[in-house]
Amino acid sequence: MAAIAPPQGEESGAWPLAVWGRRQLEGLGAFSSFTGTAFRNMFARPFYGGDLLLQMDAIGVGSLPIVVLTGFFTGAVMALQLAATLNQYGQIERTGQLVALSLVRELGPVLTGLMVAGRNSAGMASELGSMVVTEQVDAMRALGTDPVKKLVTPRLLGTIVMMFFLAIVADLCGLIGGFLYAVFSLGLDPRQYWYTAMQSLAATDISQGLIKPVVFGTIVAAVGCYYGMSARGGTRGVGKATTTSVVAASVLIILSDFLISRVLIGIFGA
Amino acid sequence: MALPRPTLIEFDRVSLGFDAQPVLEDVSFAVRRSETKVLLGETGAGKSVVLKLAIWLLRPDAGRVEVLGEAVSRLPERELYALRRRIGIVFQESALFDSLTVRENVAYRLEEERRLSEDEIEARVRACLAAVELEEAIDKMPAELSGGMQRRVSIARALSTEPEILLYDSPTGGLDPITATNIMEQIIRLRDVNRVTALLVTHRLQDGFLMATHCWDPEANALRAAAAEDHATSFLVLHQRRVLFDGPLQALRGSGDAYLKQFLTT
Repeated sequence: MAAIAPPQGEESGAWPLAVWGRRQLEGLGAFSSFTGTAFRNMFARPFYGGDLLLQMDAIGVGSLPIVVLTGFFTGAVMALQLAATLNQYGQIERTGQLVALSLVRELGPVLTGLMVAGRNSAGMASELGSMVVTEQVDAMRALGTDPVKKLVTPRLLGTIVMMFFLAIVADLCGLIGGFLYAVFSLGLDPRQYWYTAMQSLAATDISQGLIKPVVFGTIVAAVGCYYGMSARGGTRGVGKATTTSVVAASVLIILSDFLISRVLIGIFGA
Repeated sequence: MALPRPTLIEFDRVSLGFDAQPVLEDVSFAVRRSETKVLLGETGAGKSVVLKLAIWLLRPDAGRVEVLGEAVSRLPERELYALRRRIGIVFQESALFDSLTVRENVAYRLEEERRLSEDEIEARVRACLAAVELEEAIDKMPAELSGGMQRRVSIARALSTEPEILLYDSPTGGLDPITATNIMEQIIRLRDVNRVTALLVTHRLQDGFLMATHCWDPEANALRAAAAEDHATSFLVLHQRRVLFDGPLQALRGSGDAYLKQFLTT
């Protein structure tokens, strides 16, 4: 979990392993505490409804074009690649089934998570980091406002809600992309594509596809906000926080994808 | 015989360090109601840290900080938010919210509290901006303002809830002499008209001397030399992380300390 430790500025010399390990644990503890506080704030007054709507608009509507494009072309390329293999076994009519399963279980949520991480984790880290280094966060505390409640909680809730819907949009666009390639390039029957696609999806697939975006949304917002609020050292520190937040969020998304898949397959079966 | 004025800010043997580097050691002083304490010291002496301790943005490693009768170390963060509303602070670089207009910046705390109607908030915002002669900038964004204007908006924001204590962190730092004098006029006017208790951090000696030797003349609407030294203004000099001097201007000028003599003459 090296990516979790907050940026603390330059450290000279090699650190003993024990000190390095302790720093990572402290960073993980601080991150967990920070995220827990942001979650608890969802149930405590005051509620910043206006800020929540702004964040939902910026994160959800703002990310829509890249999610639509990513989903659409991922579906199309899946159909392209899978059709060649399936054709060898005389199973080309199952293209819709494999595109649907791959998208709903894995690629839709994961690619959406990575896209939103690249766009919004970085945005949150740089925006909050700039506020920290220009003392705007201190000013907010001095004016009697809890900055975690005002700045972090709306971003966290907004990202979780919008990631859920963005993943569904990505799945749908991917299915359409695969459908258009399958019908107009492979010459498959349109009804057969949709029939095999829908028939193949079971409750476990849909639950995976809906649980993952919620977890990924939490990671994207919590990591971006955490690194932003931990930024130190002027514009250089903000740049470092921004870069590190994208790397950390992306790694955690891939890691948690494996863990969620393993747990859900353990519960529901493959 | 007049009763002694209550102490609003008290530091008792306060020490603080960052990354094992001491910044303040055994710092003790008190500020009474309606008094202005001018904090002097070279860059890095810990002046801004004292302000952040006074508004509980930092907690001391040792010692006691008591503000408005409350000891910071005994209160959880959420209770501090309510107490901070009784204190105004002007940050070194203004720290205005750059995505909000001047109106929204000044109204920020009032909007958060939701105790006043929209009309009352608008009236209060205009009054605060009028106090710093900046009413015409109400719809501008901070980026559209000069450094001096941003500093004045920051003062207006600090005034919005009529705080009992005002903390100024180098309000004239980085400004040209005319703008700096204009800012000091506003601060002296607030001291003399509103009788606000204040801690003023500055590295400009002339600002501190101006505070001690001038007062606001409401009839002339300008500063004038005070007939006698203003005993509501005192000085605190920090040197090598400790308090080197705490007292009125006359005692500061008459001090035999070699460092103080050099500090006052350079």
